[in-house]
Amino acid sequence: MSPSKIAVDEALTRKVATLARLELSDSEVSTFTAQLEKILGYVESIQELEVQGVEPLLSPLAAKTAFREDEILPALAGREGQPKVLEAAGEIIDGGYKVPPVL
Amino acid sequence: MTQTLRTIREVHDAFDQKRLSPMELTREYLRAIGASRHNAFLTVCEERALGQAKVAEALLAREGRVPRERLPLLGVPLAIKDNLVIDSIRTTCASRILENYVPPYTATCVARLEAAGAVTLGKTSLDEFAMGGSNENSAFGPVLHPTHPDRVPGGSSGGSATAVGAGLCVAALGSDTGGSIRLPASYCGVVGVKPTYGGVSRYGLVAFASSLDQVGPMANSVEDAALLLEVMGGHDPRDSTSAVAAATPARDALGEPDWRGLRIGVPEEFFVEGLAPEVERATRAALSWFEKEGAKLVPVRLPHAKHSVAVYYLIAVSEASSNLARFDGVRYGTRPSGEERDLAAFYRKARAGFGAEVKRRIILGTFALSSGYAEAYYRRACQVRRLIKDDFDRAFEKVDLIAGPVSPGTAFKLGEKLTDPLRMYLNDIFTIPANLAGLPALSVPNGKDAHGLPIGLQLLAPQFGEARLLGAAHAFEKGRA
Repeated sequence: MSPSKIAVDEALTRKVATLARLELSDSEVSTFTAQLEKILGYVESIQELEVQGVEPLLSPLAAKTAFREDEILPALAGREGQPKVLEAAGEIIDGGYKVPPVL
Repeated sequence: MTQTLRTIREVHDAFDQKRLSPMELTREYLRAIGASRHNAFLTVCEERALGQAKVAEALLAREGRVPRERLPLLGVPLAIKDNLVIDSIRTTCASRILENYVPPYTATCVARLEAAGAVTLGKTSLDEFAMGGSNENSAFGPVLHPTHPDRVPGGSSGGSATAVGAGLCVAALGSDTGGSIRLPASYCGVVGVKPTYGGVSRYGLVAFASSLDQVGPMANSVEDAALLLEVMGGHDPRDSTSAVAAATPARDALGEPDWRGLRIGVPEEFFVEGLAPEVERATRAALSWFEKEGAKLVPVRLPHAKHSVAVYYLIAVSEASSNLARFDGVRYGTRPSGEERDLAAFYRKARAGFGAEVKRRIILGTFALSSGYAEAYYRRACQVRRLIKDDFDRAFEKVDLIAGPVSPGTAFKLGEKLTDPLRMYLNDIFTIPANLAGLPALSVPNGKDAHGLPIGLQLLAPQFGEARLLGAAHAFEKGRA
């Protein structure tokens, strides 16, 4: 789709918010739609540039990513033998995270 | 005393001469933080700080004087931006979503500073998840400028900048994704360094935009910033993007630069409409100073730099929308109360705690990555990012450093740009290019404007060119004083 044809409207903002798992109030939808339109209007300048054949730069890291050995190390131990990372969770069951039904 | 001891060297001299002990110094800083109205700190870790100061005090008593080689930060009180985790100390990222988050581990950079003897005073405020340039996006209220309380300290590392500038710590850590160290450093009249991408481990830094984020020091002198960088830099097996062969910015690099061999690039793109006349004058005066010392000023072109803000606000928000997907209310963050009927509803409720700027960026990023638009926005932005980096590569064939302003203006009034996000984004125009290209860059104080507001000079170097960058800034700092 050609970006110049994008209609930035409230329907688009609502659709994107759904994809992002964000709940917006009506006034947020209206404010964000206007701001999104302005920002997308501004970034339009890059559409004029000739980029045919230019390799996208995803990371500025010049060297190759450094891998470490795949060693199993002890987990951060917390209270009562529970892994410490679980302590930040609101609810845990049997050493796992509790979530609403997914099926 | 905290107002008179501004640098690590001064602190250590005072320790050596028994004018002051680590415990006394830490207590003084804790008192100063308690009495301050700047709102720079979100959490003060008094117990941790006093514990570390006590260890420093015992060590000092045993050694007689500070073992500066072995423990270069012994007893030095530091502040840490609250997007870096410290084991068992609350980390909020200035967000309601993480208001009660207590991490189970410590960021490598902080661990290295503490291992070198540093005392951690507390966690400083920021724009929520480091998204912003004024510190007004903190869920816990704005941070005030150190000397002008009706103005912003800049952001997103505004708490750290104010803490250093107002004498609430000796030095601090910030993070810089599009200028978040350099901009507040410039506004608050302190030194701020964004290292080369990969120079400092990001392990324990709450991710905003992973290909742009870097942790760096903020301090009252270039020498202190160099020391912090030296202590915390270098490869970390826990961060695969931390460079293996990172250059160590040795303090010995702070000797007199070889001026006659130094070529400083002056990009015309950094002197554009919108640059405040006083900032332009100060920048040109700094360039003349370098020239007078013997450096050669060379005009360079960065023809794609004008697209930096557009490219940045597509890439950074895309990465942010992905990184912030982890805040689901399940593993950490505020868990929705009540039984949600399904996971999607649960997520929406959990994520209601994000502030307006964060929501705006997640929406923009989700859009830029969404099917049908990713090619025209995210991918194209990455292609232009390459062109911007190529411009720098070409410029650095002719010059050793590039110099320019940090920001088009000086610290603005609270609320001045809050309702216009795009105007706020454009304030990052001179700092963003270094992040896109992964270059080291710094802000060093360069005089004040008519209101007495600090102006910063920005210097940029090729990747891992920290030694030359810091050397030139150190000479400038001393020479212009």
